Amino acid sequence: MESFSFWFFGACTLIGALLVAFGPRLVHSAFALVLALIGVAGLYWGLGADFLGGVQLLVYVGGITILFIYGIMLTPKGTTKWSASSLLFPGLIAVVPVAVMLHLAWTGLASVLPAASTAEPAATADTIGRAFLTRDQYLVPFELASLVLLSALVGSVYLARRKKES
Amino acid sequence: MDHTAGCVFLGAAMFVLGVFTMVTRRNAIYVLMGAELILNAAALNFVAFARHLGNRLDGQMFAIFIVILAAAEAAVALGIVLQIHHHFPTIDVSKADRLGD
Repeated sequence: MESFSFWFFGACTLIGALLVAFGPRLVHSAFALVLALIGVAGLYWGLGADFLGGVQLLVYVGGITILFIYGIMLTPKGTTKWSASSLLFPGLIAVVPVAVMLHLAWTGLASVLPAASTAEPAATADTIGRAFLTRDQYLVPFELASLVLLSALVGSVYLARRKKES
Repeated sequence: MDHTAGCVFLGAAMFVLGVFTMVTRRNAIYVLMGAELILNAAALNFVAFARHLGNRLDGQMFAIFIVILAAAEAAVALGIVLQIHHHFPTIDVSKADRLGD
């Protein structure tokens, strides 16, 4: 069952990412990004990160994607024209990591990794909440993140406002 | 059942597709989507290895901070895209090449 959920959400992620990269229109790619992000949330649940999966759904699927859709609606539409010369250089870049992946698949990643832990995952929301508010764990990064979010909020409102014609 | 290797492969594939999107597309919003794919690939690796090494919380915390920073990045970057659209008539990243008027 766990294996089935891995393949299902993995396929969602892969198909979504492929459609983002090769989709013909911007809106299609935006919804394909939703599919990929939901797939990643499902993978998080399968890996025992239940709180993180929820955060992924709320923030990414619910927030960032809406932002993208607004960005698409506020800007002019355009289609991507592919040509052999424009694909040559990115294709060359993509060859390297694909070759590394194939090499790893050939030799077997399991031989490089340490032995997998057999511990069963427990619910994480409680531990994460405590870790955020404990001083010698994640309290300082947590407070800094709130500052970053506040400045991003103010900054994006400042950037996106329409300047008065003078 | 251990899916660490599968998650690492999936992360690598997402990373490659994200870089490909950022390099080939001219539309600024596509470039941002490629960045989101790359960030998700990195976060997936963190979580997969955290699970592999025994349900450690550190990897998940890194992924949570990645999500936080991605949200801030997306908001600011889309604001910048709107300003580029306001300043130039286009959001083609290769045509927005002037700093002044």
